[in-house]
Amino acid sequence: MSRIKEFNLPDLGEGLTEGEILKWLVGVGDTIELNQPIVEVETAKAAVEIPAKWAGKVVEIHHPEGTTVEVGTPIIAIDTDPGAGPASPPADSKQSPESAEPSAASLEAVEMAPAEGAVEPGLIGGPAPGGRTAVLVGYGPRTAAAKRRPRRTDAGGAPPADLAVVAPPESAQTPATQPPQVQDRQAGGGGPALAKPPVRKLARDLGVDLHALTGSGPRGSITRDDVRFAASGAEVAEPAAAAAVGAPAFGPDREHRIPVKGVRKLTAENMVASAFTAPHVTEFLTVDVTRSMKALERIKALPDWREVRISPLLLVAKAVLVGLRRHPMVNSTWSAESAEIIVKEYVNLGVAAATDRGLIVPNIKDAGRLSLRELADAMTALVQTAKGGKTPPADMSGGTFTITNVGVFGVDTGTPILPPGEAAILAFGAVRETPWVHKGKIRVRQVTTLGLSFDHRIIDGELGSKFLRDVGAFLTDPEATLLGWS
Amino acid sequence: MATETLTLGKALNTGLRRALENDPKVVIMGEDVGKLGGVFRITDALQKDFGEDRVIDTPLAESGIIGTAVGLAIRGYRPVCEIQFDGFVYPAYDQIVSQVAKMHYRSQGKVRLPIVIRIPFGGGIGAVEHHSESPEAYFAHTAGLKVVSCANPSDAYTMIQQAIASDDPIVFMEPKRRYWEKGEVEIDAPLGSAYPLHASRVERVGTDATILAYGPMVRTALDAATAAEDDGRSLEVIDLRTLSPLDLGSAFESVRRTGRCVVVHEAPGNLGMGAEIAARITEECFYSLEAPVLRVTGFDTPYPAARVEEEYLPDLDRVLDAVDRTFGW
Repeated sequence: MSRIKEFNLPDLGEGLTEGEILKWLVGVGDTIELNQPIVEVETAKAAVEIPAKWAGKVVEIHHPEGTTVEVGTPIIAIDTDPGAGPASPPADSKQSPESAEPSAASLEAVEMAPAEGAVEPGLIGGPAPGGRTAVLVGYGPRTAAAKRRPRRTDAGGAPPADLAVVAPPESAQTPATQPPQVQDRQAGGGGPALAKPPVRKLARDLGVDLHALTGSGPRGSITRDDVRFAASGAEVAEPAAAAAVGAPAFGPDREHRIPVKGVRKLTAENMVASAFTAPHVTEFLTVDVTRSMKALERIKALPDWREVRISPLLLVAKAVLVGLRRHPMVNSTWSAESAEIIVKEYVNLGVAAATDRGLIVPNIKDAGRLSLRELADAMTALVQTAKGGKTPPADMSGGTFTITNVGVFGVDTGTPILPPGEAAILAFGAVRETPWVHKGKIRVRQVTTLGLSFDHRIIDGELGSKFLRDVGAFLTDPEATLLGWS
Repeated sequence: MATETLTLGKALNTGLRRALENDPKVVIMGEDVGKLGGVFRITDALQKDFGEDRVIDTPLAESGIIGTAVGLAIRGYRPVCEIQFDGFVYPAYDQIVSQVAKMHYRSQGKVRLPIVIRIPFGGGIGAVEHHSESPEAYFAHTAGLKVVSCANPSDAYTMIQQAIASDDPIVFMEPKRRYWEKGEVEIDAPLGSAYPLHASRVERVGTDATILAYGPMVRTALDAATAAEDDGRSLEVIDLRTLSPLDLGSAFESVRRTGRCVVVHEAPGNLGMGAEIAARITEECFYSLEAPVLRVTGFDTPYPAARVEEEYLPDLDRVLDAVDRTFGW
């Protein structure tokens, strides 16, 4: 019979596809009026009351409270002519005494903004239809739920790392969803360096010239990492790598299993091979590097050094190269197969770099022949390639001596493990302002700790100590040693 | 200490009552404020209790209301004028800008005008034209006026009394769509120890971004902060409270921590409060800003018809979209 009409969940005009039935404001058997609120539906945006499309009597309610219903699905059956006798389909409809009043629930459901006293419906401050508050002029204010509508893209769902998002999530209201277009400026190379203010501050604090950097951030902008990298010279402290290890996705057993492969696997094999074949000895030397730091400043001021990024690591590398020239035996390999010690004239200087793929140690071929300027360029190129994950295998093999710059992580020194095939490795710790006896008085000096591990099969304590002492002597007074040992 | 749960409107009513009781020079004047008790019932029952001489129904002439208040103030009264709706204030604009704002300066400090001009402002009540506007920037732009806006019942109660006690003219912006929001109010707290009138306040502590709002948008900002928890973002919400003089001390401190800032107001964005606030924050917090200060505002159109006003008014979705954008830089 056509007089029983099915009422479908309407599209409430917000692009709604489904809604949760929060509360039925009428029950089976209730008589309802046209436009009487019959149900409260939770949409993505707010709780909405839906009015009846027809007057009549409720025959059946199809979905209980709490269910989620798709738009267009019948939710309630209404007998539009209850006076004409029982309707056919719902034979079981319980006849209740006819009541012309709206059900008590319909008034309850009007969202009250009640004040004591004048809160009767229709009075100012009292409830008004549609979850509003009655006012003298206007429909009255509406109470909205503190809930966000679903976003169009889930790009913004996970909090993006500030620089990881190339395109910010689309926003319906704001036409300018993208940060201003800036790549043309970068391409031109002219104007100001692309860096947001905190990065500029960091660069200023660390004494890094932004113009000398190539940005790795969105639209070629310079990131904090670029600046820290430039400041440290070699090691790339990658927050991404740290985050990957630091915040693992724990399973229900509260354990996180990481497959051992790639760089991690290779590193592990090398370390085990080295640690259990070469007998390691480690020595430490704490040195005053104030003069080196000052020398670095003076070098930076030289005209042809303007565009070069340099760091204390450069002078450590130079010190090692000078030291190796004085003690060639340190630059050697223990060959078990041929029962030989192979001493090398060339120095392939390895620089350990933490990248987001793991630790890799690319080396600079024949670093001993390079001028200081060439060495600086080579180190920059080396670490940038490593950071980009593009280091070719050839650059990672054939190293003869390695420097590991643990100082960028803020620690003083370590006992490094030899890369396989190398006889010595130097750890360069953080440079700190430290009280130091200088010319008979206690002064604040810039001091660092060097840690040298060496293969005791090749290098005796005496040789290792002399080499470390010379590296230290160079860093203590680079000018005098350079001239004196030349 | 007596604490009562009041609506914002009732808190204003109670504050006005207390001002009338404490100072016989306080007079209330405006359209329908007396017998009717105001269209929003903010002056409900005050004429009955304090008489027609102190709670005065005026003609429908805003310029006359303010002009009369200027004369009364010069003669030692403390007039509290109600402009019935934001959009009705413009006939009084000349009096406010030319007389109220300038008398102190013009008289070389000899004449002060302790006038409070109450304006229910903002939309969201489904009203007709002229009834939903946000004209605060016009007044904040005018030297010689102070502009404040309350956002919750407790502030409504104290700020209206502080404004009346002030010897300077104050434009008091009331968030009309929040008149029925309830909150705890300490009725007998002494005014002297209350939170200062011209000071902003952190309403919710957060770490990821700072939301600045005032008046009706404070509730929106707080709702947005609640919703942002689902995204794992912690938003700090600051109620500016005073627009002139503008107090951004807590905002500077906050932005230096969060590095991100979104300003929210209903008024159109072009040359609005958000523009000034963004400029000052950029100046003070430049080296902390991870992204430009963004504004979420009404659009640069006349206030729209009631049926589409929810598209015009900033809501929590637009606030959170802006927060998302600050993370895109």
